[in-house]
Amino acid sequence: MKYVIARTAGEALGALTLENGKALIMAGGSDIMVELIEEKRSEDILIDVTQAKDMKGIRVENEHLVIGAAATMTEIHTNPIVKEYFPSLAKGTGSVGSLQIRNSATLAGNVVSAQPAADGAMALAPLNAQFVVLTTQGTKIVPFSEMYAGIGKSSLDPHREVIKEIRIPLSEPDEKASFIRLELRKSLSLPMLSVSAMLKYKEGRVEWSRICMAPVGVGPVRALKAEEYLWGKELTPTVMAKAGELAAENAAFRSNPLRGSKEYRRHSLPVLVRRALEDIADQLGVL
Amino acid sequence: MENLNVTVNGKFYSVQVDPSIRLVDFIRDNLFLTGTKVGCGKGECGACTVIMNGVSVNSCLIPVMRAEGADIETIEGLSDGGRLHPIQEEFIEKGAIQCGFCTPGMIMSAKALLDQNINPTVDEVREALGGNICRCTGYVKIEEAVLCAAERMRNEGK
Repeated sequence: MKYVIARTAGEALGALTLENGKALIMAGGSDIMVELIEEKRSEDILIDVTQAKDMKGIRVENEHLVIGAAATMTEIHTNPIVKEYFPSLAKGTGSVGSLQIRNSATLAGNVVSAQPAADGAMALAPLNAQFVVLTTQGTKIVPFSEMYAGIGKSSLDPHREVIKEIRIPLSEPDEKASFIRLELRKSLSLPMLSVSAMLKYKEGRVEWSRICMAPVGVGPVRALKAEEYLWGKELTPTVMAKAGELAAENAAFRSNPLRGSKEYRRHSLPVLVRRALEDIADQLGVL
Repeated sequence: MENLNVTVNGKFYSVQVDPSIRLVDFIRDNLFLTGTKVGCGKGECGACTVIMNGVSVNSCLIPVMRAEGADIETIEGLSDGGRLHPIQEEFIEKGAIQCGFCTPGMIMSAKALLDQNINPTVDEVREALGGNICRCTGYVKIEEAVLCAAERMRNEGK
């Protein structure tokens, strides 16, 4: 095996291009290493981007929160700017795996691994994020909603494309988000269900909302029926409970031997959606 | 084979390694520092925890070449001229060990925490050790040992 340490995003793209599809981009490697060890994957060349200077760090630029693709979950979880603008993202990135995993895993990798209930990806899902991706044809911008091609399958090709950074429009004071998970234990376990949401509340009405649920399909799944219902409504206990019920209509429930039957998940999801909305209402001071 | 420059427990190594091995393989099989254990081999038990550039990591998930230029601490680096580290002494004192297989990882996670935060709350200890699984004792004595070690280290001005 050949191991290349890229010092910049451009260098990583150059190495990928040179190897013409035979090299794989790797950030934290917490998923890739397990797949390599279990021989579910075999790679001849790994391009390590953890030292790429222009892919590190977290900053505010042009009214966006910019998270480098090599920033670790711990760096995001503990970052004061993230905590100020997107506490739900700080919570989600702080829920992944264990501290040791979070000290190397990245948010970009969490999305590219494309597991439906990944906590970092789920917390990011309603925030209208965009991915800045370097390709041989130039830089492209991919919205979060177009990042998934299947369960465990990203729409990006990590043998040919490099995520440089994630850009999230800074939230306004009347825009709040939430991330909650139904969990067996806090560390080292995927959630039974998770829900994330963001909404804008203007003059006592919901101007728009984005509600995401997992694992109920490919990647975080939008609760479009609930979002449509919430439009123009006041956040009352009845409205939030009704939105929870409607959310289940966009979800495909499956049974998991460790993390709950489909019946249990069907019963619990409306409660979680309601709680996420209540959390947002609480942050907005309308409850 | 590729050249690797790495500092382990304060000692600098410049060696040829197979780039496909994991950091834990290098530590155990090349340096013969067998205190670091391999439990699950996929980042779910924490037995392989070492400190890399000041933070705890699962050395079973770190490709060895990522350690290029890094500063690594393993359990063998904790004692000072035969004198055990306060965390090690408190694990013994509080009976926070049974079979001992998880202990090096537990202690390295605790060390990473106390290096940054000498006055942790119970919740902070739990967060720091949440990635370390013990199948013998449960966790009460381990928590006690870490909190007592923190208190001792505060008093000793470490």
